[in-house]
Amino acid sequence: MPESSEAAITLAGDLHARPAGSLALAAAGFASAVQLAVGGTSVDAKSVLSVMGLGATTGKQVVVRATGPDASEAVAAIIGILARATPVGG
Amino acid sequence: MSEDARVGIVLVSHSSALAEGTAELAGQIGGGSVHIVPAGGTDDGGIGTSAAKVRSAIAAANTGAGVLVLPDLGSSVLTVRVLLAEPGKLPEPVVLADAPFVEGAVAATVAAAAGADIKGVLAAAEEARHARKL
Repeated sequence: MPESSEAAITLAGDLHARPAGSLALAAAGFASAVQLAVGGTSVDAKSVLSVMGLGATTGKQVVVRATGPDASEAVAAIIGILARATPVGG
Repeated sequence: MSEDARVGIVLVSHSSALAEGTAELAGQIGGGSVHIVPAGGTDDGGIGTSAAKVRSAIAAANTGAGVLVLPDLGSSVLTVRVLLAEPGKLPEPVVLADAPFVEGAVAATVAAAAGADIKGVLAAAEEARHARKL
């Protein structure tokens, strides 16, 4: 039975291209499957273009879900990156 | 192949500025650990493609894990195909990606930075065909 984990964060800034790259790169470092959901849309966090296309903008709630052997570590890492999204991010 | 070797990326464009700018953008998004080498324009700096530039870019991009070559349009594709058909002249593996230029470069760079092998980097680039902007 694989471990699964979930957490949510409300973005303080838009998720720009460079943080989306950092996020996808970090997600790819985990064995677990990692999904990001905004509203009714859910994407693979390891796909940088999907993350950029998610519409993760200021004030939106992003739900991070992971399933696999390192699910809780993956969720913590991705939430950490999302928490660094700031109103002046680039 | 060393464990640290990343797949290299060559961006082939008719325009030197387009290849260089796309390489800069992809490098910024992908964290800078991947060799992304632009091969844009003709040998005398005009608009067009140069087999010599592409050949030396492939050599420069290769760190032992192979090289993904992403062309922009038309004769860029033909130039790369002619090079790939020359047996024994290039490092192995070298693959040609059928993908949009900017999105493919960004997706391939992130995949390569994450340690994907040449098949994984090619798949990431080609998945960019289906990425929606809106």
